[in-house]
Amino acid sequence: MLVLLALSIFAELLINNRAILVKYDGNYYFPTYTGFIAGTHFGLDYAYETNYRELKKHFSGQSENWVLLPPIPYSPFETNFLEDSFPPYPPSIDDQHYLGTDITGRDILARLAYGFRLAITFSIILLACNYLIGIAIGCAMGFWGGAFDLLFQRLIEIWSNVPFLYVIMIVASVIIPSFWTLAFIMVVFGWMGMTWYMRTATYKEKAREYVEAAKALGASNKRMIFRHILPNTVSIIVTFIPFSIATGITALTALDYLGFGLPPPTPSWGELLSQGTSNLQAPWIVTSVVFAMTIVLLMVTYIGEAVREAFDPKRFTFYE
Amino acid sequence: MSNRNFSTCKINWIAFYAFLWLLVGCSEQKESESTVSTVNDTESNSYLVEILPSYQNELLPEGLRWETNNSDPIFSSNEAKRGGTFNSWILSFPLTLRTVGPDSNGSFATYTRANNLGLVGIHPNTLDYYPVLATHWAFGDDGRTVYYRLNEDATWSDGEPVTADDFMFAVDFMRSEHIVAPWYNNHYTSVIVSVSKYDDHTISIEGATAKPPEEMLNEYGLSPIPRHFHRLDENWVQEYNWRLAPTTGAYRISIVEKGQHVEFQRNENWWGDNNHYLRNRYNVDTIRFTVIRDMNVAWEYFLRGELDSFPLVMPSFWHEKANGEDFDSGYIQKIKFYTDRPQPSYGMWMNMDDPILGNLNIRLGIAHAINVEKMLNTLLRGDYERLKMQFEGYGDYSNPSIQPREFDLLQADNYLAAAGFRDRGPDAIRVNEDGQRLAFRVVYGSQEHTPRLVLLREEAKKAGIELNLQLLDSSAQFKQILEKKHQIAWMGWSTGLVPRFWQYYHSDNAHIPQTNNITNTDDPELDLLIMRYRESKEKNERVLLAHLLQRMTHDAGAYIPTYKVPYTREAYWRWLKMPKHFGTRTTDTIFNPLGEALFWLDENLKLETLAARQEGISYPAVTITDTTWQVD
Repeated sequence: MLVLLALSIFAELLINNRAILVKYDGNYYFPTYTGFIAGTHFGLDYAYETNYRELKKHFSGQSENWVLLPPIPYSPFETNFLEDSFPPYPPSIDDQHYLGTDITGRDILARLAYGFRLAITFSIILLACNYLIGIAIGCAMGFWGGAFDLLFQRLIEIWSNVPFLYVIMIVASVIIPSFWTLAFIMVVFGWMGMTWYMRTATYKEKAREYVEAAKALGASNKRMIFRHILPNTVSIIVTFIPFSIATGITALTALDYLGFGLPPPTPSWGELLSQGTSNLQAPWIVTSVVFAMTIVLLMVTYIGEAVREAFDPKRFTFYE
Repeated sequence: MSNRNFSTCKINWIAFYAFLWLLVGCSEQKESESTVSTVNDTESNSYLVEILPSYQNELLPEGLRWETNNSDPIFSSNEAKRGGTFNSWILSFPLTLRTVGPDSNGSFATYTRANNLGLVGIHPNTLDYYPVLATHWAFGDDGRTVYYRLNEDATWSDGEPVTADDFMFAVDFMRSEHIVAPWYNNHYTSVIVSVSKYDDHTISIEGATAKPPEEMLNEYGLSPIPRHFHRLDENWVQEYNWRLAPTTGAYRISIVEKGQHVEFQRNENWWGDNNHYLRNRYNVDTIRFTVIRDMNVAWEYFLRGELDSFPLVMPSFWHEKANGEDFDSGYIQKIKFYTDRPQPSYGMWMNMDDPILGNLNIRLGIAHAINVEKMLNTLLRGDYERLKMQFEGYGDYSNPSIQPREFDLLQADNYLAAAGFRDRGPDAIRVNEDGQRLAFRVVYGSQEHTPRLVLLREEAKKAGIELNLQLLDSSAQFKQILEKKHQIAWMGWSTGLVPRFWQYYHSDNAHIPQTNNITNTDDPELDLLIMRYRESKEKNERVLLAHLLQRMTHDAGAYIPTYKVPYTREAYWRWLKMPKHFGTRTTDTIFNPLGEALFWLDENLKLETLAARQEGISYPAVTITDTTWQVD
């Protein structure tokens, strides 16, 4: 999983239509990270972005000029049309479309990889924000209890009943939902889940003797929360993290599938899935994405199980 | 949705989708229940009589020469059988069932408006006029008045007779502010000046300017509005949003379940069955439009036999999807039928009120950066052809000298550099000196068009332009465009008999919502010519003016024409039967039950086919290609 994450961070070097390294007229170029270089710069006859696959063919036979392409030389946005046939193209090693292309002629592997990166980033950001708000409010509810707790309980109940999907649909019809607006909306409607667990956990911990002892010793609220209660609830938080990540990925995929997610042509699993299901005559689209999705979700879930087991208090604690 | 479920854990993702849909489904269910009462609202119709204006009778001028046309060949088939239920589908539920007023111009209006017949019809093959609600017509000496003798047998679907008063009322109605329809308000004031009644079945319509007779019948025509049904006041728009108006056509809406389906029922003893040209048409008894929000899902319904026909104009459907056992065994048949008629104006419409798009150089730069050729030859498999301009296929009225702007990066570069967008940022998109990026929002309304726009977007990048795609539900897209909140709209206008300019280009319609001037064209010189075109009586002059106007609007570059499709392609279950000539010169859709509607449904054949399919008995495969009306 971590390997996948690490790979996806450097996806530009593995899956990209910009070359990793170009040597031309004695100079070295690193177009992956330096940005746009016009075709004319390398002696081609056009002023737009260089097509490095063509450049490689153009340079073949010249020893002093060469191009080092990534293993999968396609960007997730690029539409590639082959002579005399129409997309979607089936998987082919010769064309370096290892998982084939979608109905617009874009490489599926490239879209899967970049889609994964986007989904996992989205999910981690979502998780961080949700947990920050959820833990803070949940902890406060459990710690202070009373009217504060009561007020927030009712507020959360009301807020939980706002139909999230409708909000997304309304927003999507007014503006183009961007990565950040989507994340924002999902945080606004998603922080409540964690509060309940944190509230219960804080109530439970607060009643324990060690907290009482700390209180008797004159510890401040801040010290009690941050030094005593939070560290003892961390097992709950950690246990939930992998599952929240999985939920984040599925949520984004679901929204994209329904067409309320990120706008086209953002690489997205949901969009691939909807293409796949509406083009069952090209089975490589739907199988690729379902397979990728299953693997990632399984991995996340296994990690979750392992973490849960590692933090299982029953294995280390004994109650009288 | 419940957010506790959402952020906790272990949600099976398939269940998650199911849950989302369930939510959507449930809420619509609730909505539809509450509507039944309003839909079945059959208040007494006579309560309006006292507030209706009384119309003056006038004396018919002498020496009128009454004309009619009963000699053109009929285009329906004597073999047609009546009966059956035709199942069709719509992508989104209409926002209203009114035919005028806010939100009434969506795609469903094609069906509701088709049910309101006019005074005369146009023969689809000869293009001559034929009698419908009027049996005879005559032209006044002033060159701008048409006299009509009404069909005394014509009735509304509620049984009330159609009389001259309904036509008189139609003008009052269309001029009323209560209907909130500026286009109609204007048209029925400045184009149609007055309507007069001579007796219950004779009227005249006076137009603003003299016109050639053949255009007068079209321009100075009118559909009646049922006077006994409407109460015009400031609440009209809301009150009549879902009320079912009586119709003069073959069908009336019988069932409305909001968000789900609309059903049309054929009127018993329809008066039109005695009309020479309407006979043997509109053959099915019930038409059911079900809302299916995705074309691919609709396709699956079709393959299951739950829809009777399916459009195959899209290349991916014709070439890839419409194959397989049901086609090979002849249960489902295919037809490609060439036609010769005005072409809808598909393409990109730019809003010139936008600060960047207001610049002519930018617009021309964009036009040269849109690679329509590549889209046609790759994605669309060369099936569609390049549209040259907005008004193609209008015969003499189309300006043959106008050629679309080709994909040409050099020209694009010249224009865009002239507009100040010289340099490119690290993402290869142009920026001007203020650091503003050359990025535009393109709003469109069908998931099926995403691949086309993705391709155009990638090609436009070569010119340093970024197109950001905004996919909306088709009703929401249309609303955004009519409210002029778009930057670039990906859409097409339907066609008319002759090119129209006032609604698309006159400054009266610019900068205000709910008009068709979606480019916000505002040019005094153009306004003058448009008014001259509207007022001109001589066909030659009109043709010249039309050519000039097309040239000027082409030069303004606010519209990038994309493609035209000079044929219709459809798949249909073999129980649908057509006349021997299949369709006509101007057929839009062969299996449009409210259009020409020449087809019929053979219920015995349906039972037979379904049984054969069950038992695995096959028929010969059928793919018809008809080139009778092909133009080269």
